[in-house]
Parts: sequence; structure tokens; C-alpha cells
Amino acid sequence: MAGRRALKAVLIDLSGTLHVEDAAVPGAQDALKRLRQASVAVKFVTNTTKESKRHLLERLHRLNFDLQEKEIFTSLSAARSLLEQKQHRPLLLVEDSALEDFAGIETSEPNAVVIGLAPDHFSYQTLNEAFRMILDGAPLIAIHKARYYKRKDGLALGPGPFVTGLEYAADCKATVVGKPEKAFFTQALSDLGCSPNEAVMIGDDARDDVGGAQNAGMLGILVRTGKYREGDEKKINPSPHLTCDSFPEAVDHILKNLL
Amino acid sequence: MAADTGWPGCAKSLKGVILDLCGVLYDSGEGDGTAIPGSIEAVKKLKASDLQLRFCTNETQAARDTFVAKLQRLGFDILVSEVFSPAPAAVAVLKERALRPHLLVYDGLLPEFDSVDQTNPNCVVIGDAAEKFSYQNLNEAFRVLIGLEKPVLFSLGQGRYYKETDGLNLDVGAYMKALEYACDLKAEVVGKPSPTFFQSVLNDMGLQPHEALMIGDDLVNDVGGAQRCGMKGVQVRTGKYRPSDERHSTVTADGTVDDLAQAADAILNHRH
Repeated sequence: MAGRRALKAVLIDLSGTLHVEDAAVPGAQDALKRLRQASVAVKFVTNTTKESKRHLLERLHRLNFDLQEKEIFTSLSAARSLLEQKQHRPLLLVEDSALEDFAGIETSEPNAVVIGLAPDHFSYQTLNEAFRMILDGAPLIAIHKARYYKRKDGLALGPGPFVTGLEYAADCKATVVGKPEKAFFTQALSDLGCSPNEAVMIGDDARDDVGGAQNAGMLGILVRTGKYREGDEKKINPSPHLTCDSFPEAVDHILKNLL
Repeated sequence: MAADTGWPGCAKSLKGVILDLCGVLYDSGEGDGTAIPGSIEAVKKLKASDLQLRFCTNETQAARDTFVAKLQRLGFDILVSEVFSPAPAAVAVLKERALRPHLLVYDGLLPEFDSVDQTNPNCVVIGDAAEKFSYQNLNEAFRVLIGLEKPVLFSLGQGRYYKETDGLNLDVGAYMKALEYACDLKAEVVGKPSPTFFQSVLNDMGLQPHEALMIGDDLVNDVGGAQRCGMKGVQVRTGKYRPSDERHSTVTADGTVDDLAQAADAILNHRH
């Protein structure tokens, strides 16, 4: 492709791309192995507000994927690196299961609000506490802004509505750290020492994975697994670099055409 | 003449005054809350003048007769018939459009909706539900909305926050925005700053907008709302007032006064 440099890194989404719930996408483990034999760095990137890296790793190991914890970069990791960079002491409105990804971060006398999805913490009381801090100048950091998600018992509110409510009440704008933010992708690439125009992203979410990555200067490959719905590739402009049936096909395309 | 169009010169030609309640007459809190110093006397003086006086509140934690009784206990000369609040206005809209609400409101407000059919809901009404704004309850309201072919959300006011004795608390507007974002819709606001709501108060007094003045502690909803209807709007430095209000990007009050007592004195002095 004109203006692009040789490919150095591949970012891969997890849920919906490598696996759907508790089943691996057929052929995905072997495809990952083939990709690792090529001279490209690989990183696994996902939006999660409640699953720690350890938890994600355990699931992928159970499904026989070959990867290490340090190769995983999540929206929680992005929040953590922002906190470290700005030396904020956060009030963490995240599920207890996500807390281990913030281990070692100072949380006494908080001066920032981090909001994930935490139904147990989204009480009037706690949201008031967060609101008062924000009104006094504490920055509001959102893991992501999803509107709702599907639970076994039906649809349920995501973090987005609560972030939006706090933004309105305190007349402020949250810093969103997860996909599809540009900063998420550049951070994921930063320790690989490569720039966006040397990287490609594979995912099942047209807007958050492919659109976000392409907006950051990467190539985006959309797979027709997971949450993909017919016509999703037409929902973003520019359209995906490639839309293909599944992860193994995406890998074949990369090995054949992008290296 | 310019002096007579600004504050407080405009008081000369006024025929009616509308007062917000919480943050202007009293501060809410434990028990009945506390009257703001000088406000009981100020209401008395305004009532004794030739001005018409009405009260316009976005109070949605209690039924109208309940909070009027509370104000009477605090010493205010106030009648239910002089008070305009969102719940009775919402009930009128629901009946007119034959809508059956799912209610996410404070328990104390429920009696206002006794006369409305609430079976098999086809809209959602939210008020300041305070501790009833749990994830669970919001999720229920969300599921009703997302399950409707044409979701309709009514919000009793759209305030950002208000002051309790222990500090500032999120108001219904924050939760309205949350549901709007989740369902990708726009709520219909009943109460301040809705022009329909202010107009109903003006109709009751039989006045034109330019003949009336609104006094409130909420710059956007009281002052800005009244101004958009063609009334004058004055802000008091009590209640939820914050100094940054005086440098607001879109709303500039016609006047800013320390409290209701000062506003009442300024108005009455300019009429003599």
C-alpha cells in the first residue's frame, strides 16, 4: 500500500475474534501459531471493565491459545497507564474482579474518578461522592462508554450512561481510555516500538476495533464472527482494509499480502 | 428609560413575581430543612404588595400538599394553589396522551400518580428518586424503554444537582441524560425550564411574560428558563449558587442578589 511501511505489529481483539463465549473460533489457535512464525509482534487488545488480565489469560489458555500476560492490553491497562502518567490517586468505580489490574496504585485521598461498569458501586451515594470530586476539579476517566450489554437475564446498562450523567451534572468531558480512542491504540503499540502505519488490527466490532484503529492510522481487518452483523463493514468510513470470514483468513491475508 | 428595563429598574413595571422554593426560601436537609434568613419576611412583604406571587418548583420528592405543609411549618405564608410543581403537570400530559407510566420517582411522590393507569407501561417517568436511583431501578426503567417501539421518557425537571445540608447531590437531570444516552432518545422535560411549564404559571396570573420576574438559585433552569419565555430572571447567591455562575457561557442573569430578602427589598423600593 502506498505510504505504508512494512508491517511490524498485529493487534488482535479477543472476544468475538479469537473466541465466542467459551468456544475458540475454528482454526484460530493454529492461525495464531502461523502468525507468530512470521517476524511481526503480536498484541491482544480488548475493552473490558471487569476482567483482569490474569482472568482473560486463564480463559485463553483453557482454549489452548499460546500467549502471555504481558501481551495483553486492555482498557483497564490503558486507564492504569494514564493514572501512572498523571500520578492520579483514583476513586475506582470498577468491579472487584478488575481491582487487581490496579494493584499498587495509590488510592488514599483520591483526586481522580475512574468509572468502569460496577453495578454494585453505582448507588446514589457513591455516584454523589464521585460527582462532588469531579465538581471540585477531579478528572473523570471512563474505561469505555458502551451504552448497554447483553446479560443472561436480558439487556443491562453499560458504563456509558453513568459517565454521560456525570458529565452532564458536572459540565465536564470524560477522558475515555478504551477502544475506539486513538490513544488506546497508540498506547498498545508504544512498547512494541512501532508506529500506527506499521500495524494492523483484527476485530469483530466495525466501529470500536476497525474504525478506531484506522482512525489511529492503522489498517483494520473486520472478521464476520462474534458481534458482526451483515453490513457492518458499510457503517464505517473509510471502509475496512479487508472484511473476511474469520481470524484464520485474516492471518492468511496478512502473511500473503502485508509482509 | 434604559434603567427601567434592567434590574432592578424593571421592578417598576412588574405585575407578578415567581419564586423558586428550594435554595431560595429554604435549604433542604434533616427534617423540614431550614428557612433561609430573611426569606419568611420577604415572602410576607411581597404578598402584602400589589404584586401577584406564585411559587414554581421542580420539587419531586414529595407530593405538593406535603411539601407545602412543610413550608407552612417553617413559617412561610404559602398555599397549595399558589404552587406549581412538575408531577401534577406530568399527570395532565399522561392523561391527555393516554400514556401509562413506569414510575422511577421518590416514594413520597407516588400519591400524585394515584389517578393514572400504570399497568403494562408504555412510557417512563423519572423524578428526583434520590437513593431509589440504584443500578437495579435504572436498569428496570431502561428495559421498559428499550422494549418499546417508540420509547417515551418524561423527566420531571432536568437539574444537574442541588444542595442538601451535607453537600451537593446529583439531580434528576444526570439520570435523564444517562437514560437518553442508553436508549439514544431525547426526554420530554416537564417542569422548569420547559416553556410550557412557565407559561402555565403566567396563565394562572393572567400576565404577559414581560410583566413577570423569576427569582431562583438555579442559573440555567430558573433564570435561563424564565428568560427564554420572555421574563426577567434574577439569581440569588443562596442554595446551589456557585460564583462561577456569574461567568456562565450561555446564561446571564438580569440581576444577582445575595438572597431573597435583598431581592424583595430592591423590587419593593423601586415601586415606591
